[in-house]
Amino acid sequence: MDTSLAEIFSFIQSIPPFDLLPVPVLERIVNEVSICYVRRGQQLPPKGVNEPRLYLLRTGALSLSNDDNHLLGKYGEGDCCTVFCVPNNGQKDIVHSDEDTLLYSISYEKLTCIIKDYPDVIAFFQQTSSERLSKKMHRINDDALVASSLMNSSIANFFHTPVATIEAKSSIKDAAIKMTELGFSCLVVMKENRHVGIVTDKDIRRRCVAAGLSSLEAVNNIMTPEMSTIDIKNNAYQALMAMTSKRIHHLPVTQHGIVTGMVTITDLMNNEGINAVNFTSIIHKANTVSELAEISHLLPKLQIRMTKLGTTADHVAKSISAITMAFTIRLIEMAEKILGPAPVPYAWLAAGSQARQEQLAHSDQDNALIISDDVKPEHDYWFHDFATFVSDGLAACGFIYCPGNVMATNPKWRQSQSKWARYFDQWINTPDPKALMHCSIFFDLETVYGDTSLLENVRATMLTKTKQSTLFIAHLTSNALKLRPPLGFFRDFVLIQNGKNKATLDLKHNGIAPIVDLARIYALSEGISEVNTIERLRQAAGTVSLSKPAAANLIDAIELLGMLRLEHQARQLELDQKPDNYLAPKEISRLEREHLKDAFKVIKTMQDSRPSI
Amino acid sequence: MLNQLTFQWPNIYEIRRKWLLKKAPYGPMRDFLSTPFQSSYTSIYDSSVLAVDFETTGLNAKKDKLLSVGFVELDHSQIQLASCYHQIIKTEGDLSADNVVIHQITDDVKAQGLELNTVIEHLLKILAGKVMLVHFSRIEKQFLSKACIDLYGIAPVFPIIDTLVIAKKRLDKKSIAYDPSQLRLSNLREQHHLPTHYAHNALNDAIATAELFLAQVNQFQLGDAEKLKSVLI
Repeated sequence: MDTSLAEIFSFIQSIPPFDLLPVPVLERIVNEVSICYVRRGQQLPPKGVNEPRLYLLRTGALSLSNDDNHLLGKYGEGDCCTVFCVPNNGQKDIVHSDEDTLLYSISYEKLTCIIKDYPDVIAFFQQTSSERLSKKMHRINDDALVASSLMNSSIANFFHTPVATIEAKSSIKDAAIKMTELGFSCLVVMKENRHVGIVTDKDIRRRCVAAGLSSLEAVNNIMTPEMSTIDIKNNAYQALMAMTSKRIHHLPVTQHGIVTGMVTITDLMNNEGINAVNFTSIIHKANTVSELAEISHLLPKLQIRMTKLGTTADHVAKSISAITMAFTIRLIEMAEKILGPAPVPYAWLAAGSQARQEQLAHSDQDNALIISDDVKPEHDYWFHDFATFVSDGLAACGFIYCPGNVMATNPKWRQSQSKWARYFDQWINTPDPKALMHCSIFFDLETVYGDTSLLENVRATMLTKTKQSTLFIAHLTSNALKLRPPLGFFRDFVLIQNGKNKATLDLKHNGIAPIVDLARIYALSEGISEVNTIERLRQAAGTVSLSKPAAANLIDAIELLGMLRLEHQARQLELDQKPDNYLAPKEISRLEREHLKDAFKVIKTMQDSRPSI
Repeated sequence: MLNQLTFQWPNIYEIRRKWLLKKAPYGPMRDFLSTPFQSSYTSIYDSSVLAVDFETTGLNAKKDKLLSVGFVELDHSQIQLASCYHQIIKTEGDLSADNVVIHQITDDVKAQGLELNTVIEHLLKILAGKVMLVHFSRIEKQFLSKACIDLYGIAPVFPIIDTLVIAKKRLDKKSIAYDPSQLRLSNLREQHHLPTHYAHNALNDAIATAELFLAQVNQFQLGDAEKLKSVLI
């Protein structure tokens, strides 16, 4: 190429998607460029230009606004303005120059002709933001599929089959012999061809030998009845979650309700190196808070490692959440050992991001206690000491105390089941916008330990009410709409609604939180009990509240934002900085900024379609 | 309305063109002179302009040589890169080291160039009927005249817009002393917030001059109806 056009060539080459094109194709594009100059305050397209054209900003600045004079975005040097690629785009968007602007432009028809053999490049101009975002996320998910294992491995890859069984009326001795012969540490107990329980070598030790029970007794005396099972359709990661939450090491696998195999924690552990599985297993072995605190230093390292492996943000957050859960459970066990058993049934609840399984290292603790209605005033001493022990323990492990005091140590959030039911009634029946802002965290609750029925009963009643209360949903919506995504980027700044610039993008409050809020609204409107955002969106998809394509768009958007947040935090953690959510546009490529703009658009569209007060 | 009724004197270029045409030899020069110039009352927006730049071995057209020619067309105030032309000229004699540094045109590159007559013939063909846009017109005017006298026996006439003159007029009006270096192409571009360009390549300088001209026309708020007359030298 003629060196004289080298500057124009390299300028265009630096702008995505032109960076994907080989040199000869780019040279043909450069040859079709016209250069024009637009004075400050003038509108685009330049006088006399009627054909669809693509504009690239060489210097200066342009603003895009709708016909109500509402700012939609800005373009700076090196930005690509596609507004005029489509002839007479129905929505009368206006582009005018904020500064004297030098523009390179190319006929859209000629451009598409030159790039016809490059579908990825054409797609960039032709697809809508949600289409582009979806394509990007598919690619990322494909990469994650290769990089990650557990999340994407079916249980079928791990389980042992046929499952070793024993008849309920067989003796404990027979069970021990069978285990030894097969080299298995557990057997499924069968009665009339149905599984009725599980017996492990630990049961033989504890419930038979140590308890002085005759080994000739029937095995069903020492088995664990109502065993947990998992359907074969789940992935290995879900098996891990089930085992972690129930603190079991063996999980029978069912197919059409019939036990067909067994998956053990060792099977999963052998599959991944230092990972969530190993982590939970060492947590279970820790005996003191200081040992746990020692282990917790590994958490940021795990987060970096998983991020670098290209693991999806959803998987990373679920792993970190599972580990937080393991820390909490171990602390609860320690507390019960010190304080003695609880006077009445209870459940330790996680609220907010931990409940949603969207937690990252260094996050604060949000928790609560729900106690059986049998509780008596004097029992609160036990629960107070208990909550204090666990909360202090969590703080020692790096989960700082909740600044908003949403913790089980706060008497307000350490209440009986009926009191919790009344809290929800009040929030739903007489919604007060300000109060709702503080309590939205309680609509994302999950049981970490204890009697799950306590929360589930309250939740079931709560959901039947939220489904019917349009006023409550409307108040929740207007709160949710307070956090808006930015318009885009202008030069190296983040462009916000009023046309002002910010140095950084708050990924959490202006990206992830709006989607979390939307998902909560859909779930509460549709009576969905799930709290994880992606799961809420999946279940709400196809309901009146949320169309299937819109759900898919939001899932893509939250995955992208989550991924950028993890990458940003990995950079900080590696520099021994405290991770935050403030992303400077300079940290990311031009292409990533384009993807982010697509995500903002998806969020904005969904926010704008919600009726609020 | 009034404008249209005003009697327009035929411009000096047209008178001279017709006079020269009578004695021009058949060939590229006669073809060039046969094309009428645009009226100087044409609006700047509607006029056909050719931004031109020459790289030479020095400032003296009598003894220095033309090394390369670059040009690009401006059509309705849009610089059309499709019309780009850049050509190295095969000239006799070795280049001085200083020149090589400035233009990056080495003897080897020069040897691959085209003959002077081929390049001038092409330039005249494209320039016919257009206004020449240059920065510091003396070089292009004198070197083109010299080349034409050598090749065809007469020097052509053509209307010129000089971005240096436009800038100078503006500065002179302000009656404040200024440093002449302010009138350099790169400095003027900087004043207009245009990007830095790789100078001393004929085509690059031609494009840079055309961009500067667009910026000047816009800055002076001349308006779409402004006549060519106001910017011709």
